Amino acid sequence: MTGQNLQFVIAAYGVTWLVILGYLIRVHRTLGRARLEHARVTGAQPGASQ
Amino acid sequence: MTYASASIPAVAAGRADRWPWFGVFAFAFLILSQAIAIITSPADRDMGDLQKIMYVHVPAAWTTFIAFFVVLVFSLRYLWKRREKDDLLAASAAEVGATFNGLTLILGMIWGRPAWGVWWTWDARLTSTLVLFLIFVGYLSLRAFVDDAERRAEWSAVVGALGAINVPIVYMSVRWWRTLHQVQSTPSSMDPAYVLGLRLNAFAFLFILIYFIRQRYHAACLQRSTEHAEEMTALGGQQS
Repeated sequence: MTGQNLQFVIAAYGVTWLVILGYLIRVHRTLGRARLEHARVTGAQPGASQ
Repeated sequence: MTYASASIPAVAAGRADRWPWFGVFAFAFLILSQAIAIITSPADRDMGDLQKIMYVHVPAAWTTFIAFFVVLVFSLRYLWKRREKDDLLAASAAEVGATFNGLTLILGMIWGRPAWGVWWTWDARLTSTLVLFLIFVGYLSLRAFVDDAERRAEWSAVVGALGAINVPIVYMSVRWWRTLHQVQSTPSSMDPAYVLGLRLNAFAFLFILIYFIRQRYHAACLQRSTEHAEEMTALGGQQS
């Protein structure tokens, strides 16, 4: 790769991974909270099949 | 009116154990696809290395369209059958679709600055993509503000179906109007040297999309199941 416009290419791939990993963390946190809340209300184990 | 929610706990059970492995596969495939695309594709004669942004920008746009097509299908299905799991699937696809839509816009701006000399212009493609994004931000806001589950599902199904109609307008905007944005990049319209990288990354984004929608849907099913259980407990408490 040449240096021309390289900062834009790096920025594009950086933003892509930031957004994808950011959403991955968000969805995993949401799922984790949902599992715990469901287990609390129903009395099931969080890791068990609900 | 029937608002079928009895299937939610069964949906929440699912076959969740397989999905973390699918997620690992999707992310590994994305890393490999990006590496192959960056290493193997030569610099473009006109755009130079800037062409490599295509491997993330174009798949992000396609993924957005697929996600909103899922919203359209399951919103219409909800309006027809009134099954709550259709509403939850449409909402999950809308959230993931809005994320990829936002990413598409940002990547377009990063590409536009060196290619066109501006971060943003009110071009038909850019404007229609922004309108699509705002519609689905509105869709998600609507869901956040309406407490009644049945009303929320009905209203968001209507907004989701109407919003998804904007997708073909976005797609065709470069042909219907004179725009700064070039006509769509597809494997048939580009140099064969770039086709493999684009195809691989398109599939990688598709796998990420499927994984995200499934995980978000699973969370939504659990949340609704919890709400149902709490409602039943409250009703039981009132009766006793």
